[in-house]
Order: sequence, then C-alpha cells, then structure tokens
Amino acid sequence: MLLDAVHMEFSPRYHHTADMLLDEQMIIEAAKQNPEHFGPLYDKYYKQIFGYVYQRMDDKDTAFDLTAQVFLKALTNIEKYEYKGVPFASWLYRIAHSEVMQLFRNNSKLRTVNADISDLRNICEEVEEEYMEQYKGILMTVIKDLPEDELQLIELRFFEKRAFKEIAEILNLTETNAKVKLYRILERVKKTLTKTSK
Amino acid sequence: MGTKFNLDRKPVTDEEINSHKDFGELVNKFKKQSIEKARSDVNFLKNKKATYSAIIAGVAVVCTVTYFAVFKKEPPKETANDKIVTTQQQHTSTPETKLNKAFIAPPISKLNVPYTSYKVKAEQGATIKHKSNSKIIIPKKAFVDKQGQDIVGEVEIKYREFHNQADIIASGIPMTYDSAGVQSHFESAGMIDIKGYQNGEPVFINPKKQITVEFSSEHTADRYNMYELDTVAKNWTYLSRDNSLVNKKQLKPNTQSEVAMIEKKDSPKAQEIQKLIDAIPPKIEAEKITYTKKVNQLPKTIEPSKPTKAIAGRPQFELEVNYKEFPELEAFKNAVFEVGAENKNYNSKLADITWSSAEVSEGPQKGKNYLLTLKLRERVEKLVVYPALTGVDYDKALKSYESKFADYKNLVIKKEADEKRLKEEFEAKQATYLAEQKRLGEEYIKEKIRWQREQQSQLNNAMQDFTSQAIVTRVFSLSNFGIFNSDCPNSLPKGASINPIYVTNEKPIMPNTIYLICHNKNLVYNLQYGTLKFNPKDAYSLCIISNGKMYLCNKETFSSIASSKENKIPLTELSNEVNDAIDLRKAIGI
Repeated sequence: MLLDAVHMEFSPRYHHTADMLLDEQMIIEAAKQNPEHFGPLYDKYYKQIFGYVYQRMDDKDTAFDLTAQVFLKALTNIEKYEYKGVPFASWLYRIAHSEVMQLFRNNSKLRTVNADISDLRNICEEVEEEYMEQYKGILMTVIKDLPEDELQLIELRFFEKRAFKEIAEILNLTETNAKVKLYRILERVKKTLTKTSK
Repeated sequence: MGTKFNLDRKPVTDEEINSHKDFGELVNKFKKQSIEKARSDVNFLKNKKATYSAIIAGVAVVCTVTYFAVFKKEPPKETANDKIVTTQQQHTSTPETKLNKAFIAPPISKLNVPYTSYKVKAEQGATIKHKSNSKIIIPKKAFVDKQGQDIVGEVEIKYREFHNQADIIASGIPMTYDSAGVQSHFESAGMIDIKGYQNGEPVFINPKKQITVEFSSEHTADRYNMYELDTVAKNWTYLSRDNSLVNKKQLKPNTQSEVAMIEKKDSPKAQEIQKLIDAIPPKIEAEKITYTKKVNQLPKTIEPSKPTKAIAGRPQFELEVNYKEFPELEAFKNAVFEVGAENKNYNSKLADITWSSAEVSEGPQKGKNYLLTLKLRERVEKLVVYPALTGVDYDKALKSYESKFADYKNLVIKKEADEKRLKEEFEAKQATYLAEQKRLGEEYIKEKIRWQREQQSQLNNAMQDFTSQAIVTRVFSLSNFGIFNSDCPNSLPKGASINPIYVTNEKPIMPNTIYLICHNKNLVYNLQYGTLKFNPKDAYSLCIISNGKMYLCNKETFSSIASSKENKIPLTELSNEVNDAIDLRKAIGI
C-alpha cells in the first residue's frame, strides 16, 4: 500500500508559496485591526469551507448556515490566530471541523457520506486491489460504518483528496499519525475486499 | 451506523455558492455580536462587586483631582514633542492640547531632537550663537506676556533645528503640505522650532518686534519657500518665498579617504548569487547518481530461451546443469546438449571417452549456445553445444516458455516505462536546475552592473560633494514662536512601484508609519500602507514604525529590491541601536 500514491491527484488548494503566506498574513494582521479587512479571506475561503461542510451532509441550507457560522467564529476569534507557517485555511478548517462535529453530536441524522465512484476506485488502487463492480456496495458499507474519526480520515484523504499535512492540521494529528491510522483502516478494507473476492 | 452514503451526488454550482456569500452580512453580525457583548459587559457593572469597584475608583478620582487642585503650582515637565506654540495658540492660556501631542509625536518614544535652552534678559535682548553656527537675534523688549504686557527679566528660549531626514523623522513633525487639496511632501533646506518661557509660562513675541534667526543651512539651492506649522489646522502655512540666502561660503573639500572608490570585487549580493550558482552542478550530479541508482534497481529482464527440439542423428551429450548459474536453462529440464555443426574438432570417438570433467559455460551466442569443456588429464576439448529437448519434455518446455516469454514481455514494457519515467524525472530536475543556474547567472550580471553603477554614482556624488558642498544662511524673521521651515513641496515620486510586504526575520509586519527617505534630496515622504512608488533614478531608504518599534531597509537593500522588482522588503530592527537623531542619521547612512 502506497499511502503517498503518485497516481492520485491531490488538491492544490493547500499549497501556498512563501509569498502567498506572507500576503495572507498581512491581510490577517489588517483584519485584526479592522473586521472590514477580513473580506479577501472570506472571498478566498468561502467556497472551500462550504465544500468541506456540505461534503458531510445533505441539507444544503444547513451547510450554508454552518459556513456562515464558521466565518463569524473566525472573525470573532481572529485576534487569537497565530501564524504558524501554514495557510490560514487550516485554522478555518479546524473551526469548520469543530462546528460540523458539534452539529452531528446534536443531530446525528444529518451526517451523510458523499463520494464519487472514482474515489472508490482510488481506494481499491490504494489497497492494490483491482476495482470490481461488486466492491462498490461493500466499500460503501464498510466506509459508512467506520467510527467517525476513521471515516473522517477516509473522507479527507480519498473523497476530498487532501494532503496528509493538511489532514493532520485539520484533525490536530501529526502527519505520521494520520498516515499510520489510515494505513490500518485500509488494511482492514483490503481484508474485507479479499474475503469477498474469494 | 445508519449513515447515508451518496454516490456521485450532483455538485453545487459556483453560482449557488456565490449567491450565499455575503460579507456585509457577516460584518453586520460581527458588529451586532460585539455590541451585545459590550452591553453584557456594561450589565456586569450593575452587580454589587462592580458597584463597589466603581465607588472605590470614584473616590480615587476625587482624591486625585483634589490633589492637583491644591498642589498644582509647578508647570508640568516638558518633553521635546509637546508644547508646540502656534499662531492661534499664542493668544490662549492653554497652549498644550492633546491634539498637539498627537499631531507632533516622535515615531518612537526615546527618539527626539532635543531643545537647547538659552537665557535672555528681556529688557536687554541678545544675540545667541547656536552650536550649528545659526544666530538668534533678539531685540530689546521683544517679549510680552499673555495679557500683552512687556516682560522684564529672564526669559528662557528653547530652540532646536532640523537639518536632515533623520532629524525630520526623529522630530515627528509632519512634512506633508496640503495646498488646496493637493498634497505634497517637503524637501527641506532646514527647519527650526523656537519658543519662549518665563517661570514656566509661555511668553509671546512683542507685535512691534521681530526675532531673527540666521539659520545655517547646508542646502544651497534657491527653490525654497518659508512656511510655518499651524498645529491646530494641522497644516503648514505658506509665508513667503525664501529669498534670504546670504554668506555663501565654500566648505573645505572632503579628504580623499572619504571618496568612494570603485571596488573591484563583487557586491555581497553578487557573491551570494555566485555561491548559489556554484552549488548547482553538484546538485545535478547528485540527481544523476540517484537516477542511475534507481535505474539499476529496476528488476532485471532475462529473456527465456526458446526450447529447441532435438534433431535426430545429431551427436548429443547429457549434462547436469546448475540452473542457478544458468536460469534461462530452467525451461530445458531433462535437456540434451547437441553438438553444433561448427565444431570441426568433433568426431564420434569423443563420445566414447570417459572424461574426467565436463563443464558448461556461456557460449559464443549468449543464452543460445554453451561451451562444453571436456577434460581428461592434459587433454581438453571444447565444443559448442545447443540445449535441445525431446518428446513430451519439449511440449512441456514450449508451453512453459510461452508463459514465461509473455511475462518477460510485460516486464520489459514495464521496465521501459519505468526507465522512461525516471529519465523524464531526472531530465525535468536537471532542466529546473539549469534554468535556475541561467536565472542566477542573469541576476549575477545584473547585480554586477548595478554594483558598478552604484560605486560609480557614489564616486560621482563624493566628487560633487568635494567641489560643491557649502553652507548658506537662511533668515527667518519671526513675529511669533513656533515651527518654521524653508522648504520646497514635492509630489510623490514616479517611475516605478511595488506592492510591498514588509518582513523582519522572515515574519511580516504591518507598518503604522512609513518613511520613504530620498537620498538625492533632503526629503522624507510620509506614506500610507499600500503601493510604494519611487523614482528608479533616485536612491532611497525605508524607515518603518510598527508597534512602537523602528525598522530600516537601507539604501543598498532598497536599490537591490527596486532593480529586482521583488516585493518582499526585508527590514532590520533599529530600536535598540538608535537612541537619537544622530544614531538614526548614521543608521540611514546620510
């Protein structure tokens, strides 16, 4: 199993050059002084944060409301934000993650898993199994029945195609820890698939 | 457990997402939330503890007010940046206001241009010679009190001068000039700040008299005007054309040692670039080694030998073969070795000899034939032999061969693809390094040219100073105390611009104040944060104030940024090494 698989395309949204980070930091510092300066960050990250929230539920209105809530929390707490050399997005995702989890704690029925068929193929490739139609149902069952923390790893890695560095930032794990956890989940998935193919 | 799994759900369109985006609403919610929080904080005051605290604080305020009411006799201690007397304020009893302090404030608390204090007998007048060679000529009975009555006795004159950009920055005196809505920045031929006190109370210049300041200026041009700072209107007031140049005199030329010499060696930046260029070939070499290593690590492809059917009547040997040594012969298990027709030394008698040893080694056609070396005492016979199979063994071997050949072909295709990929990766890395090398090479040449030009320009400037540096006297005729200058308004520089990001120790900082110091004129532009415009023909430094700290981007660094079109401006903190305007002047390199 190659967790850093080269064949899977990962989202470039997390990748920032040093200059981009500096530019962003300037805006953050300005926003700390005046909330009106938060605008560029709101514009830049709105779609990403909405995408993150909506990925985990079906109710679009709730997703939009929650996105607004994430940005309000971010603006309220921006003074506490400290630059740690990673994009501001990480901090926003953490807020979004916390808000989404809170929502599911209150109403677990809202939780859904959303993926494309190509994502399931990627999982098969990752566990070195050739994708077969019969795997579709099995994978869907295995994934949706995963404990929440494991499901999040699969979602972030395969359905949202995030780099491990970013996953670690969002889930507050080390990069290695995220890799090891995902490796273990995939091993279990592989076993299930192998059993089925026999 | 009952989580719903959606496969290939329809994505939300950008239009729909954007239709929910409402930054104004977010800010409104934020403000509303802040107001509610503030209200809840006010409500807190209503509880008992808060009430007690308020009573205690109230008592403390009353005590403090009473103390000042009873004991306030001595004037408050003065700092250089307060007590600015203006035209309008001369006629009021409270010349110091909070407004003034904010309007004229040194950029960092410890930095200022100090006043020199002189004592004058009001009824006698005096001519004071300042350390800069300027003269303050005070006629008899030059002062009146706030009621307009002549002052008798000792009057304290507090005086300071501002000659260069460092003095201007240190003073905190705004040097922007608003003329009918058009803002310009003063290029200064010199500025003075003068005021008078008696027993701590401000005095005023007698309306029937004038105090004359003969100011020693290093700036000889005659393009300047006289202005007075109105600290209430927060603007400079035009007084007159400065036609007061007198006593132009040549200074002694600078010594030869002060003349900048064109250095033959590279600039520090060029040396750094050269180091980077030198580091590239070893990097390419390392990539080459890694590439070769990776290629060698790819699985070896050995083409299986196609089994040959034994030809009836051809002489044969049955031999035991070490299959580890010749893996391609795996397909020839139970094989016989036919003697090739090329063996001219072969005769049928050889088959009758019991040889003491028979060794198989690679033949002339690798993988196809083998060299059989037969030995008996001194006799050695070498025969080229071909592996061949008979009957069922042949059919079995052929089947096995076909399967292995198919695997072999797949492996070859995969290996070729891997080799191609590795080669492409290596070539891409190599190309990146070569492009970097080329870019650095160009940068090196540019830097070398820039350095030579700068050295030449320094030499020229030094030569110019050598021949033309002079001191002139500019005459300020004062009817009131205050801040006066002989300046020339300049518009913002043009020609080039950058969107700067100010960084110190790789961390960005948000400037509170930005001073763009022009080295070609005695001029400091006080700028707002935003696009930084400059004239590429002029030399500049940048002085930034952020959170009470002072930072500098010196002339050399600025020039390098200006020529490279970089937007990251590295700043060095000055706060610890700069304690006064002289330190600042040295740091700026004026």
